[in-house]
Amino acid sequence: MIRTLLITLGVLVSNCGITLAEVQVGKEAPDFVLTDSNGKTHHLSDYKGKYVVLEWYQPDCPFVRKHYNSGNMQALQKEYVSKGVVWLSIDSSAAGQEGNYPPDQLNQIATKTGSARTALLLDPDGKVGHLYGAKTTPDMYIINPQGVLVYQGAIDDKPSTALGDVKTAKNYVKTALNAVMAGQSVATTSTRPYGCSVKYAQ
Amino acid sequence: MKKGLPRSFYFVLFYLVCGVRILTAQVQDGRELVHATLLTDTATVQAGQKFHIGVLYKIEPDWHIYWKYAGDSGIPTEIEWHLPPGFQAGPLQWPLPSRDKEPGDLEVFAYGSEVLLYAEVTAPASLPAGPIAIKADSKWLVCKSSCVPGDANLSLELNSGHTAADPALFQRFAAQVPRVLPGNYQLSVARQAQQVVVSFSGTGSPASLDFYPEPPPEVVLGHGKQSGKTVTFSIDSEGKAMDQLGGVAVIKDGSKVEAFQVPAQEFGKLNSADGGDRGQTLDLVALLQAVGFALLGGLILNVMPCVLPVISLKIFGFVSEAGGQPEKAFRLALAFATGILACFGLLAVVVVLLRGAGANVGWGFQFQDERFVLFITCIVFAFALNLLGVYEITVSAGATGGLARLASGQGYASAFFQGVFATVLATPCTAPFLGTASAFAFAQPPLITFLIFFSVGIGMAAPYLLLAANPKWLGYLPKPGEWMMRVKQVFGFLLLGTVLWLAWIVGQLKGVQEMVVLGALLLLIGIIAWIKGSFWNPVASAGTKWLSAGAIAAVVILAVSGYSFFTAPSKLAWQKFSQESLDAALDSGHPVFVDFTADWCITCKANERFAIDTATVRNAFTQQKVITLRADWTNGDPVITQILKQHGRAGVPMYLVYPGGKNREPALLPELISAQTVLDALKRG
Repeated sequence: MIRTLLITLGVLVSNCGITLAEVQVGKEAPDFVLTDSNGKTHHLSDYKGKYVVLEWYQPDCPFVRKHYNSGNMQALQKEYVSKGVVWLSIDSSAAGQEGNYPPDQLNQIATKTGSARTALLLDPDGKVGHLYGAKTTPDMYIINPQGVLVYQGAIDDKPSTALGDVKTAKNYVKTALNAVMAGQSVATTSTRPYGCSVKYAQ
Repeated sequence: MKKGLPRSFYFVLFYLVCGVRILTAQVQDGRELVHATLLTDTATVQAGQKFHIGVLYKIEPDWHIYWKYAGDSGIPTEIEWHLPPGFQAGPLQWPLPSRDKEPGDLEVFAYGSEVLLYAEVTAPASLPAGPIAIKADSKWLVCKSSCVPGDANLSLELNSGHTAADPALFQRFAAQVPRVLPGNYQLSVARQAQQVVVSFSGTGSPASLDFYPEPPPEVVLGHGKQSGKTVTFSIDSEGKAMDQLGGVAVIKDGSKVEAFQVPAQEFGKLNSADGGDRGQTLDLVALLQAVGFALLGGLILNVMPCVLPVISLKIFGFVSEAGGQPEKAFRLALAFATGILACFGLLAVVVVLLRGAGANVGWGFQFQDERFVLFITCIVFAFALNLLGVYEITVSAGATGGLARLASGQGYASAFFQGVFATVLATPCTAPFLGTASAFAFAQPPLITFLIFFSVGIGMAAPYLLLAANPKWLGYLPKPGEWMMRVKQVFGFLLLGTVLWLAWIVGQLKGVQEMVVLGALLLLIGIIAWIKGSFWNPVASAGTKWLSAGAIAAVVILAVSGYSFFTAPSKLAWQKFSQESLDAALDSGHPVFVDFTADWCITCKANERFAIDTATVRNAFTQQKVITLRADWTNGDPVITQILKQHGRAGVPMYLVYPGGKNREPALLPELISAQTVLDALKRG
């Protein structure tokens, strides 16, 4: 009798378990669907078999601007997209918040800055941002061809807005991508991201 | 007037607003939003003197700069001192920041309005003549809804006659800087799987404890969850294994707020001003206390209805078997007691093994894990119902039969098995206590678990040893009677009190919603216990047993489906309702469906599940490109109240269907709707 009771309780309790955003290095990166700035729909699962970089992006954030004004981000995008990596920038700014622009304007900014990303995905309701627990811009995630997260966190180890720091900083994304693409393991698999807060709905 | 304007007007307006925003983003300068000045607490300095220099930041209203650990976003404020040769600056002193929330459940540690960050400086043994130049370069990030970096190169001259000192300002901010933890407070910072638990002990008894962490840069921490005297952080990710965590303990006592710096120490070591030794002895005191209670608990087990009558019989048995050798009687009792202890040892082994197995699959057995607390609450409640006599726990005859054979006969071995037998037979009365103790033991390390269980066993065996040594004392033994039932029931109420305390923990951890889920679980257990006690007892016929088993299954299925019914997310794409979103939806020319609802409105939930969020309605919505808006009246939004009134309704549910096109007159649906009602309303348009 006690056993039946315990099993019943166990089943019930496990049903009540609150589901949390479980994005963890070494675990499968959760799938999502988002529309890009050109109106095209992207499923993360479409890119199984390829390396995927997720870059949380917000054009007006000084930390994001550091990496774009210095040409650092575009250089990374160009290098890895040419090696077959899918580079998805995600703008989770809510309507009325900083960095929430109409798609054409975002495309204009992309042309002006010479971005070489695969696509800029729009996430104004913050659904994917919350799913991944993205907190700052930039906030970087690397997913391997098996769909498993291999890196999450900061782009580099110099949390500042000074353009000059880009040269001296240790770029975690570059290091991790080079390692996994050469079949090696990633030394630093997660760091604390730095930057502006993602501009979620008030 | 708004409704009449062409769409192009909105586009122009939108671009204007956005354009202005880009413009302001460029104009806004961190140097204008934050006014930084370099200050000192002394205008003249002598050789060897200690004094303070600091940067005062005056921040625009609603903007903030960051503490040394910024939180989820932001960057710590930086100061680089440039001092003349020989001058030594100490570490930067950070007054207590405020813990603020930003949209999207982000948490930051920040300063608003004004703050002074300062350091103590020691002048060299010999000073040069003339003015002494002190310089400071500071960088900061200042944020409101957007973030702007700022910097300043500051300087001042000491011993020059034209620098004003402001010692009062330094004193004011020094009072806000965390102090060294005093001796009567102890804090332990321990790691439990993917969590860090900061807990407070000591002779002071604060009303609340908070902890502002300073994690290493490779670690992402969740937000601190306060529960009584503990604060728990989840470790969301770690690039390097985190083996220590420092921070600031914030203790609130009434209106008094005190902050104490807790240096990073390896996990598990106690933090206090006078070292860990004192903490060790305090831990020992707590342990002795637990052992004392366990002994007492074991002793109390003896007055349970299934135990007390056995004691005299056993003692008489030992005395007669010993045949006038008091020592032999005592040895027999000792063998009997060993049997009892063996049972408790076995129970402890089971608990420790289960705990280990659970920890391996990632179950956190601690009071900061709400699933564990839910589980333990259910168990305690079930046992409380047992003590109150709602149902009885029965031991299967198969299990006792074998034991009874081993225990028959004479000698020490059979006395040992008699001890085992007595313990098993007593289960119906002792299970509530032992079960509760086992559940709590899940949160303890193995050694403590064994110690506690053996203490209970010794407590339970104590009367046998004592009475076998002095059979004359049997006369002092209370006579069995109805009072034993009453004692049992009183303990039932004690366990119900424990349930209340556990429910409070659940509320603290997860809020009202989860407390209601717990209440529902307890209700379910109550129903199951009642069916078991009233219909599924040893005297019931096989038919009745089958029927009650079916009833229990039905109740469980009903509860689980009810739970998923209320918590399943909607498959429709709802937009948040506002006058603006409604206008925009109407402007698009598509039909619009507005759902006025509230979390506490059962009719609303039923309508949503059975009428609106159904396959037929979803198909119709997709085909006719219906825009769905949801107006949430859970917190009595005044705008929504007004609209409800306009349509002659005092509350929710209310459903409005706008047919689309130029017709802006909505159809008002009845309060109780079916899928057909919704489809008909759409057709009419």
